[in-house]
Amino acid sequence: MGVGVRWVRRSRPLRPLCNPARYPLAIGAAFAFATAAAGQGSADSMRTIAIDSRLAADAGLKIGDAVVVIAQPGERGDSVRIAAITSPSADPSEVSRQEYRVRMHLDQLQRVTAYGDRVHRFAVQTRGGASVDRAVAAIDAAAFGFVAHRSKDVAVETSATFAVVSRFHRAIGVITIVASAIFLLCILLLKVDERRRDVAALRLSGISRATIVKSIVIEASVITLFGTAFGVALGWLATLIVNSHYQAVYRTPLRFALVTPQTIAFALVLSIVLGIVAGALAALRLARAHPLRLLGRR
Amino acid sequence: MILRLVVASLTGHRARTLLAIAGVAVSAALLLDMVMLSSGMRESFRSLLTSRGFELRVAPKGTLPFDTEATIADATATAAALRESADIAAVSPVLGGTIHLPRASGSATSSVALGVDPELQGDYVLLSGRDPGPAEIVFNDALLAASGRQVGDTLTIAGGYDPQLRRFTSPRVVRIAGRARFVYLAREQRAAAMPIAALQALGGAARRDRASLMMIRAAPGADVEAVRLWIAARLPKVTAISTATAIAQVEERLSYFRQLAFILGSVSLVVGVLLVGTLVTVSVNERIGEFAVLRAIGIARVTIIAQIMLEGAVLMLAGSLLGLALGLVTARYLNTILVSFPGLPQSIDFFLFQPRAAWTALALLGVAGVAAGAWPAWRGASLPIARVLREEAA
Repeated sequence: MGVGVRWVRRSRPLRPLCNPARYPLAIGAAFAFATAAAGQGSADSMRTIAIDSRLAADAGLKIGDAVVVIAQPGERGDSVRIAAITSPSADPSEVSRQEYRVRMHLDQLQRVTAYGDRVHRFAVQTRGGASVDRAVAAIDAAAFGFVAHRSKDVAVETSATFAVVSRFHRAIGVITIVASAIFLLCILLLKVDERRRDVAALRLSGISRATIVKSIVIEASVITLFGTAFGVALGWLATLIVNSHYQAVYRTPLRFALVTPQTIAFALVLSIVLGIVAGALAALRLARAHPLRLLGRR
Repeated sequence: MILRLVVASLTGHRARTLLAIAGVAVSAALLLDMVMLSSGMRESFRSLLTSRGFELRVAPKGTLPFDTEATIADATATAAALRESADIAAVSPVLGGTIHLPRASGSATSSVALGVDPELQGDYVLLSGRDPGPAEIVFNDALLAASGRQVGDTLTIAGGYDPQLRRFTSPRVVRIAGRARFVYLAREQRAAAMPIAALQALGGAARRDRASLMMIRAAPGADVEAVRLWIAARLPKVTAISTATAIAQVEERLSYFRQLAFILGSVSLVVGVLLVGTLVTVSVNERIGEFAVLRAIGIARVTIIAQIMLEGAVLMLAGSLLGLALGLVTARYLNTILVSFPGLPQSIDFFLFQPRAAWTALALLGVAGVAAGAWPAWRGASLPIARVLREEAA
């Protein structure tokens, strides 16, 4: 189960540790997960909890500290000892919420929050993939009012936000590709245009149109290849900066940007194709013109 | 004469000119979109929060409205305490919950339910019918469609389900009094509103005299921040959030989009400037002979510089105008993608056209582009005439 609880340091007068002005997203509330698998109380009979590293850093808590957890301001609450500090998971759905996470014993959280013998969900482990459907059917048939969901269905449902972000990124990517294609075409057109005198000289000395077109296309491809390699290096550097910045901002191990072999292959193929097309178009324009016209003599 | 020369130069290299305009148009479109994205969310959210005239939201201590399941205890006393302030004109308590509409088959349609004070509420806009009275409820279109009901129907609703006894708890017979659009809920979200006392009763002892939040309307001329501080001092178990604070918190959560807008906007500005700068530079290099001749027959250097810069300006102007249209179309498309975020209020837009910001961005692109051609123009017009003519003749 997961509910909101508050915590106060026991060794000091009761006060909320979270300053809403400083931590506006957490605002004194922790999202606490109770787990039935958590261990029993420590030797001094005080129950134990685990807190995440963000809460530990912000509230200045460490392992062994005693704190009081309460569900509502003004309540008496329960004294607990911090037994573990956990790392935040690399879960995109948690990034923007910036909630603190406290893990408690299930029965204790139920008592603190006066929630009774209730849980929000059960996680069920099945034996092998084939038994999942049978388990879902059995649970659904066992008691009306319960609904069993496959983990993959839950994952699809909860990742709907990221599917939207992904679509947005794709759309922005298409606009960027169009812009870079036009830019590349412009640059190569200008670069080839600059060679009009050289092309005229080659044509006048008997070099065929096909050879000139080929040489210009090869030149464009080489330029594109080097440009792409530089772009990949620049992109890789950008991902390092982006990841470093956002991991620090959101205090998460999540990687926000990735350069994958597929990304590199896509960029390489797209750039080279664009480069060849742009080079060929520009080269054909030059090759079709009369050499003397290229020299400005006609 | 300058205009004629500019037209001759641009039409002399049609492919190059068209490509340059297309390049500037795409850069301008992207820049415009990013300007719209960077300010759109904030303005849209501000407009959403202020649309109903409530400047403050009071939530359980340390939470945002409806961010957790926490509720304000002793809602009646809390509301009465808030009304003590002469600076508070109205207090509208809201309780959030879930209701079930049992079907004959034994299954049920579930929906979000808001318990409100119908006379003061700021959560929905009535589309037809009337506000709910005792034993009445209003539905939104999604719930009417899902339940197959219409305004005027009488039906049974339940506050929960007991899996052990296999029956719905706290059943109540209510009449659908009206059809409403819920301001803060997603379009596809099924929602209903009823008097807060009725929803509290549906929730049993756990919901007795509780509210999820209270919306506060400040008295005319009252200092909202002073009211917020007064609430913080008077009621230590609640947190008062002003519209400005709420906007700042949403901005922080969505800071990714603002930063993306800044980065992509900067990149598009640089690309646009580089494109025009490169084109003007190459164009000047190709035409240094022409400029030398013009200088030799007595055309002033300033006139030549003006001609070259005017070419850049024409490219930027044509590209920017095309980019404006392109940007509005792409912004609309990108907005349709982002507003499909699950649970986003239907009146939130990510891309909002604000004329001042848009014109400023496009003017910046235009000026930067024209300025990028200034140096090559100066260089082209300043070369030694005799040497250039001799080299061109060779």
